[in-house]
Amino acid sequence: MKIKFILYSTLFTGLLLTGTSCSKSFLEVSPTGEVLESNYYQTPDQVFSAMVAVYNCTEAEAGYGINWYANKLGPLNAAADECYAGGGSSSDMMAYQVWNNYTMTSANAISSKFWAMDYAGINRANILISKLGTPVTGLADADRDRYIAECKTLRAYFYFELVRLFKNIPLTTVPIATSDMYNIVQAVPDSVYAQIERDLNAAIPVLPSTVATTEYGRLTKGSAMALLGKAILYENNTARMADAASWLNKVNTSGVYHLLANYKDIFDPGNKFNAESIWEISHSGTSQAWWGPSDFRGNVYCTMIGPRSYSAVGTPDADHIYYSGWSFNPIIKAFATKIHNDPRYKYTVADLDSLVAIGQATYSGSAGYMNTGLFIQKYAALLKWKCVTGQAELNWPNDVIEIRLADTYLMEAEALVRGSGDLVRAKALLDAVRARVGLPSVPVTLDNIYNERMLELATEGHRWFDLVRTGKAASVLAFKGFVAGKNEILPIPLEELNNTKLIQNPNY
Amino acid sequence: MKQTILTLLFIFCSLALSAQGLQVKGVVTSADDGQLLPGVSISVKGTTTGSLTDAIGAYTINAPANSTLVFSFVGMKTQEILVKSSTTLNVVMQSSTAMMEEVVVVGYGVQKKSVVTGAISSVKATDLMDMATPRIEDALKGRTSGVTIASSSGVPGADATVNIRGITSINSASPLYVVDGVPVIGGIDYLNQGDIESIEVLKDAASAAIYGTQAAAGVILITTKKGTAGALKVNYNGYVGTQAPEHKLNLLNATEYATIRNEALVAAGSPMLFSNPSSLGVGTDWQGVIFNNNAMIQNHEISFSGGNDKSTYYASVAYFDQEGIVATDISKYQRTTVRLNSAHKVTKWLNFGNNVSYSHIKVKQGFSANDYFGGVLASAVNMDPVTPLITADLNPATEPYASHLTSIVRDANGYPYAISSYVGQEMTNPAAYIKTQEGNNSWSDNLVGNMYLEVQPIKGLQLRSSIGTKLAFWGDDSFSPIYFLSNTNSNLTQNSYNRSLNRTFTWTFTNTVSYTRSFDKHNFTILLGTEARDQGNTFGTGASIHGIPATTFYNASMNYNVPATQTSGWGYENQPYTLSSIFARLNYDYQGKYMLTGIVRRDGSSHFGSNNVYGYFPSVSAGWVVSQEGFWKTNDYINYLKLRLGYGVNGNDNLSPFLYTSTIGSIGGYTIGNTNYTGYGPTAPANPSLKWEQTSQLNFGVDAKLFKNFTAAIEVFQKTTTGMLMQVVIPEYVGASAQPWGNIASMWDRGLELELGVNYKIGDLTINFKGNSSITKNQITDIGSNDHLVNATMQSSAYEVSRKVVGQPVNEFYGFKYLGVFQTQAEIDAYVDKDGNKIQPTAKPGDYKWLDVDGDGSITSSDRTWLGNPNPTFTYGFTLNLAYKGFDLVAFGQGVSGNKIFNELRRLDIPGANYMNSALGRWTGPGTSNTYARIVEGDPSNNFSVPSQFYLQDGSYFRLKTLQIGYTLPMSLMDKVNFSKARIYVSVNNLFTLTKYEGYDPEIGGGQSIYGIDRGVYPQARSFMAGIDFTF
Repeated sequence: MKIKFILYSTLFTGLLLTGTSCSKSFLEVSPTGEVLESNYYQTPDQVFSAMVAVYNCTEAEAGYGINWYANKLGPLNAAADECYAGGGSSSDMMAYQVWNNYTMTSANAISSKFWAMDYAGINRANILISKLGTPVTGLADADRDRYIAECKTLRAYFYFELVRLFKNIPLTTVPIATSDMYNIVQAVPDSVYAQIERDLNAAIPVLPSTVATTEYGRLTKGSAMALLGKAILYENNTARMADAASWLNKVNTSGVYHLLANYKDIFDPGNKFNAESIWEISHSGTSQAWWGPSDFRGNVYCTMIGPRSYSAVGTPDADHIYYSGWSFNPIIKAFATKIHNDPRYKYTVADLDSLVAIGQATYSGSAGYMNTGLFIQKYAALLKWKCVTGQAELNWPNDVIEIRLADTYLMEAEALVRGSGDLVRAKALLDAVRARVGLPSVPVTLDNIYNERMLELATEGHRWFDLVRTGKAASVLAFKGFVAGKNEILPIPLEELNNTKLIQNPNY
Repeated sequence: MKQTILTLLFIFCSLALSAQGLQVKGVVTSADDGQLLPGVSISVKGTTTGSLTDAIGAYTINAPANSTLVFSFVGMKTQEILVKSSTTLNVVMQSSTAMMEEVVVVGYGVQKKSVVTGAISSVKATDLMDMATPRIEDALKGRTSGVTIASSSGVPGADATVNIRGITSINSASPLYVVDGVPVIGGIDYLNQGDIESIEVLKDAASAAIYGTQAAAGVILITTKKGTAGALKVNYNGYVGTQAPEHKLNLLNATEYATIRNEALVAAGSPMLFSNPSSLGVGTDWQGVIFNNNAMIQNHEISFSGGNDKSTYYASVAYFDQEGIVATDISKYQRTTVRLNSAHKVTKWLNFGNNVSYSHIKVKQGFSANDYFGGVLASAVNMDPVTPLITADLNPATEPYASHLTSIVRDANGYPYAISSYVGQEMTNPAAYIKTQEGNNSWSDNLVGNMYLEVQPIKGLQLRSSIGTKLAFWGDDSFSPIYFLSNTNSNLTQNSYNRSLNRTFTWTFTNTVSYTRSFDKHNFTILLGTEARDQGNTFGTGASIHGIPATTFYNASMNYNVPATQTSGWGYENQPYTLSSIFARLNYDYQGKYMLTGIVRRDGSSHFGSNNVYGYFPSVSAGWVVSQEGFWKTNDYINYLKLRLGYGVNGNDNLSPFLYTSTIGSIGGYTIGNTNYTGYGPTAPANPSLKWEQTSQLNFGVDAKLFKNFTAAIEVFQKTTTGMLMQVVIPEYVGASAQPWGNIASMWDRGLELELGVNYKIGDLTINFKGNSSITKNQITDIGSNDHLVNATMQSSAYEVSRKVVGQPVNEFYGFKYLGVFQTQAEIDAYVDKDGNKIQPTAKPGDYKWLDVDGDGSITSSDRTWLGNPNPTFTYGFTLNLAYKGFDLVAFGQGVSGNKIFNELRRLDIPGANYMNSALGRWTGPGTSNTYARIVEGDPSNNFSVPSQFYLQDGSYFRLKTLQIGYTLPMSLMDKVNFSKARIYVSVNNLFTLTKYEGYDPEIGGGQSIYGIDRGVYPQARSFMAGIDFTF
């Protein structure tokens, strides 16, 4: 009997101990139908998908994670002397309105969208770069290096956006740990530019000079070199103008790019990734986006800048048959007057009032807030590009060209002039841009270069930055309420100051 | 035993069987406190004849002359008394030890009630005897202090919201149910009430800490009946009854409706709709269409129990069937349960046993129980009384009938059910709607059981191992015919037949060692244990086939062959969920005078983050029986006094799985080479520190016996919940695609509870009264960086109905308050701010004069304020038992107060929706009303389209839940059939409800988002039942 007691008791105690000792692994369960971050980034396909997510933040339309409409052309055009905010009323797209009349505060939405989208891109790039520190089975070293180079180029792009919009920004190159989230401080702008240069210098040797058509949209050596030259130019240091010119020269003389013969072909959705395009943000008319939270691939900006209640009358040419839109960013009459005699005018401005006058269109001018009758032509929603499936408003295929050859020509010319470089080459670059649209040579002065930029690059999102970095903003934008010493940069979004160590920008 | 069975077979055909003997009767009381003892077993020594004392401690038994009666009861000394002649024999039972030995279940064991140091309320089988309630929660309602139970609706078999000591978390937190020692997840509706021996509610953290991370909202321990050694006892208990609604709403009749509609249209500048309202008469009573004044309810259960020294058993089978009082054709609940509990002594030191139950439940419930989006209740409330039930024509030539002659729903005579032209959207003719739902049902099969093994190697040491499992299947079976109910509710293309099947399997493996020892006057028990549980094995699949050659549910089948394009399917599986625990408890007492209990439990849960895989839940409590001290003078006022104090910590691990880690999701794509790629990345940053919500509770209690006949228990508690889960707002410079979850919010509940018992005997009349009441207060103290959290929303309004804010009770109603109704333009002009500007410049006479809460001179969203608490602050209940000779009466009532109900019965976005009778008192001119604004089509002044005081009503009620009168047949008659007990009774549930609330029913549970919000709640039935209960 005693033996049995002991036997049973031992058995029993054994069971108890077993129950306890194996408990830790018993609690380590894996999810079904979901992938843990720690189990991802392990195949070439997964790495590719992660890279797609980084590119997503350049498109700045809308997405699952960041669910808002955040196109940057709209507010930048509204901020400059080119366009008004427009829309349906003075409260339509407040992000546009408050920059149009310089009433932005840290609490109204304008700045937070740029801020959030760019930082989302930085975080995604940081994550992928850190994940690629571990070898991925099946991923060739060259492919891995290219992904890293793309991430660094994109990270440089996002930081360049942030530093020139907000100036005083947090700078991190690794994913922010939960414990550090509230301890980040703002970096001095110089160190942000230094990081941009470091990333681009690392990426340039790795990136391919050109990509196959199936890879259109992925970055090239030219994209990174152009951005590097541009960033150095924005650093505004005369001693470094030669550096800027040198990088831009490499792009301009690479042989990969040339100016298109016809100016109007540059923005044609049928002519994507053309020889003049150096950095192009792709869009698609085939993603079948619908209203509601969805992952946009279409370019909604095209709809936003269209005339309200538009109808074509008769048979205008296909470049002047529009899709009815919401009347944002009407072009300011004074600006139109400035560029009116330029051969590029008709490719820049959609003169709806004239179309109405000659009986080719009707639209509701009164429905558009601050309507001028003049609309943006470069990104206009032309009926011929209307999507086949999906909501027409949301699915325009028009790509946004971030950097193109005429821009890098003019930037190189500017850097040469400012850095006392080769003025003959500077003149040749300026003349090339003018000659393409049949304009005669002019002396290569900074004023002429800046004037050319205004004409060549109108409504492409460069004008406001040019005005600010050349110190002209205060006078040119005085009519909109621009305050010198304040409005050169945007306020840090209010919610970013809660419980963090960030400091608001001056005068906000 | 055979003889008894034979007797059973013959009882109905012959009453001639008889036995010679004496009739002995009397009452049995406890020597400790003079309480009457129900359930004492009385047997004639050396025979199988036996009896039990009834609810009030009375018994009768027939015994041969000069036989010995044996009185036995758990915790009492067994008494043997020789009887020589028919007599009244009142017996006083002594405790088997010096102390009162009532035991309570405390989790992984039992404890003598006298040395309990926590706050535990106990309900015994005898309290629930013959109560006709289909669910345990319902049976528990009003029985104990500190437990607020609100049925989610009166739907047969509907579940209930159970809050022990207030609301414990802003997230879902319901009590843990432990049945026969095994935690049961997923509801306890599989239990048959007649099988229940006792229910214990562990209210404070000191007692509940033994269940650690699942016990924050309290623990309800349910013990099922066991057999006792002795003769086979067969018990039948059954009742049948009829149910009807307690009352109907006072809605406008057709004439009144048309008058108000006309008035509203004219006020808005539109033409009148009804040229002669009075010609419309009373119109259609839609409530009459859906309510059943004679819905059946019945319950039958038969149990067998008995055993010998080695083995005991309890077996039962029960059937419960309840029709709904609303749309009975599509509202019905049926449950069959089978149970077998047995216990076996293999040797002196080895026992094993099992508790196994199977249940099958079938529910027809073709509409929502509390929802303004359609269904029969909302339709009956909102449909206009002008539309008739059926059309006069078999084939009307008017629209919308004419275009849908083949799909409109028709009555038995082929007349189409009428379609309202005044009330549309989700509202449809309820009679037609019922036809489209016929047959649809859901069902579940539950197999719940446990098996245990106990070893006692040496005296005082017990090793116990138990494995408990639950295997459940559930599903739906529905058919959607071709129908046209209205322009917005139709199925004109294809019929469809849908089935779903879900399965879950949970197991719990528990091992404990306990050792009990006494040294001199020191008594202690140590318990150590481990437990592992897996409750994540759940999956489901479903399929639909479309376009089958069937017209009703009853001729639909999955066997029809349809093309693959006409079939569809789906499936899911739950994430894994495991728990692993170790725990220890020490009970110590000195002479039963000073006692101390300490508990610590370590729980590991797969829901916790990697930094917090294990949570530790300690508690300590102490008791002092003051009345046993030497200095205590025996007196007639306070006969017994015990003080208790306890503190403990519990957790709530009811968080979604894998919130602590970072998972990959689609976070935005990009177009490369004309291909649209999806981008993947982490959705939210990991929070490896994520852990359980923690509830700590301090409890002070007093138990007393006063004036010999009174017992009282008082509890005071403070409960604090911290680390409640919320999404953390993180800076955007982090760049995350979503916000992580964190342990952020906190709140407290404080309360006072009182339980009182009285026992009195005046001649043959025995009076037994038990009452309880509780006051509970709740306040949110932290919701992170949020200004507020929205709880319920209101129809088409942008304003929420209730919110969570720091400093207020959880989910308090929020909206506008009015100062009255503007009677004249002069009053509008006179309503000005401090600068003399009109506050409501666009108001018209008859509009509400809103309170300008923020004093800014205009009425804006910031003029909303607190309108009341949906959760009652005061709850109470009582049971009164009266017994006089063979008659007994039970009255059981229960009530709440301090809460408000948001009456959202009327659909605001349907201008033609019918009104409550109170609309007759609307403002129609100066002096007509100062509380009910004018009614204008479109409500241009927003008098009614915002949440306001207008919708709030006092939710207090008192309800007589049960009134029962029974008669126990005299022994002289029972002798003839060899019965040991036979009782017949009639019972009324919900005889009356005292309330000012004008809706169907003031009892509205059903989750935090709808608690106290009436969108047409299915009312509780008033039922009349007759039953019999006999044992032989």
